[in-house]
Amino acid sequence: MLVASELSKKFSGKPALSGVSFHVKRGEIYGLLGHNGAGKSTSLGVILGMVMPDSGDVTIDGISVLRDRSRALRKVGAIFESPAFYDYLSGWDNLKILMSYSGGFDATAARSVVERVGLSRRIHSKVRTYSHGMRQRLALAQALLPEPEVLLLDEPTDGLDPEGIKWFREFILKLRDERGMTVLFNSHLLAEVELMCDRVAILREGKRVFEGSIGSIQDDTRFFEVDFEPWGIACGLVHSAGGEVRAVGRISLPATMDPAGLVETLVHAGVRIRGFSPMRRSLEDLYMEILNGAGSPN
Amino acid sequence: MLFSQQLRGELRKLFARPRTWMGYGAFILMEAVILFVYKLDRSQQYMHAMLERNGLDFGTYYSSLSITFTIMLLSMFLLGSIYFALVAGDIVAKENEDGNLRMVFARPISRLRLLLVKYAAVSLYTFTFVFFVGVSGYAMAVAAVGWKGGLFVMEPKMKVFAAYPDWWEGAGRLAMSAGGIGVSMITLSSIAFMFSCFKIKPAAATIVTLTILFVDMILQSFPFFKPYESWFITWRMSAWVFIMEQQISWPKIVESYAFLLGLNVTLFTLGWISFQSRDFKT
Repeated sequence: MLVASELSKKFSGKPALSGVSFHVKRGEIYGLLGHNGAGKSTSLGVILGMVMPDSGDVTIDGISVLRDRSRALRKVGAIFESPAFYDYLSGWDNLKILMSYSGGFDATAARSVVERVGLSRRIHSKVRTYSHGMRQRLALAQALLPEPEVLLLDEPTDGLDPEGIKWFREFILKLRDERGMTVLFNSHLLAEVELMCDRVAILREGKRVFEGSIGSIQDDTRFFEVDFEPWGIACGLVHSAGGEVRAVGRISLPATMDPAGLVETLVHAGVRIRGFSPMRRSLEDLYMEILNGAGSPN
Repeated sequence: MLFSQQLRGELRKLFARPRTWMGYGAFILMEAVILFVYKLDRSQQYMHAMLERNGLDFGTYYSSLSITFTIMLLSMFLLGSIYFALVAGDIVAKENEDGNLRMVFARPISRLRLLLVKYAAVSLYTFTFVFFVGVSGYAMAVAAVGWKGGLFVMEPKMKVFAAYPDWWEGAGRLAMSAGGIGVSMITLSSIAFMFSCFKIKPAAATIVTLTILFVDMILQSFPFFKPYESWFITWRMSAWVFIMEQQISWPKIVESYAFLLGLNVTLFTLGWISFQSRDFKT
């Protein structure tokens, strides 16, 4: 549905994107992760035609954003972190104006969307009186009004309270389940990404350093929670067997290595094994591993 | 249909901001001051003497039409230009500064179309503002000196001197000249609009525009530049005064407005090229 191919972009000679590619399938929620300056927002800018790439292209449902931006974006809705509305106008007027750029305003459709996002009571108030959560709801309304097939979310839950984050997550998941909406989700909140996304890509210094499904990250059984005694001797043996000690009580083994072999070696060396269980790896573990310089595990 | 909906939205934004109304307030105040001055005895004596020197009757030409003409002649370039430059300088740059543009760019509207909508809104604002000044100035003048009387025109710089004793003819010329000023002032808005499309702050767009206008006016007044006066923007913008001549010099008017039209198209195109080639980071 959304294909970014070999995107490269430099700002004042400094690379912001270097050959970044990813493919978001129809009905999928795809997370884009990375530190500040990793290239997430630039990627989003290229997808929306706000940033012209030096090379590469983005297609949405087969239509190139670079060649035919207006047609490609007809099926797209976007939400940004701290959405900038016309504060001196009402929420309703904002929707009217923004929709005039998307093929026209339909009051009935607008009322229904406003109702869905729970903003009916305040939609005619000036936006400057809105809380951050209400602004995000309005942002969601304006993104949904053109009945998009693709939703681009740039840090949408930043600054929301836990209740707001939960509401937002459930709303997006419902959209995907009911309408098969394709979502590109760009966020720092790893726990949120883990709860929402089907697949993720991690960007570092403008390059994609990881892409994989959330399931495959969690099912990765190379990580183990262990309880050895004496710990020092055990660590040496783990190292010499090719494994790595991640923290006290936490080791990782190469994919090719049989954990039973290590256990046998440890027992032979007189190490007491009180615990040895495969660990469910979180997205945060993977993210920290990659961004702390462990390189690409993929 | 869609363009008119987009234009309505643009005008809605424009007129929802207090700075758009500042100009209206300033002009009402200025008109009140001018009328107050006109009502003073010394001022009337001066007018009396000047009209008599030119063989004209004070009773006919000390009128609401003549006062309205003076208001428009004196105020548009100096006071009006500030508000036109302010509004046009803001229209793109302010939205970029406030982050509104990224919301707009998430929509399937081309940058050219967006600029066309904004340019149309600025032009409409400029044109209608001039009429507002004319109508409000006339209404206040009628309240002060009554509606009767003709129109007396004197513009030494453009060498235009005319008198219309008949109210209808005077009012017709005044209305036509308001149209002329409106079209002329669109050039000023075009300069500010072009700068607004550049990567600069809205205030900078306004200041640079006013600087260009005032430098143009100052240089034009140098005797050295007299033979080249028709190359000055403000001279071309003053061509509306020719509408007031007894025998309207249509070729001079058409030539000047063709010059201004060409300039407006060039300014818009330069603004568009800059806007089109820019990256707008989210």
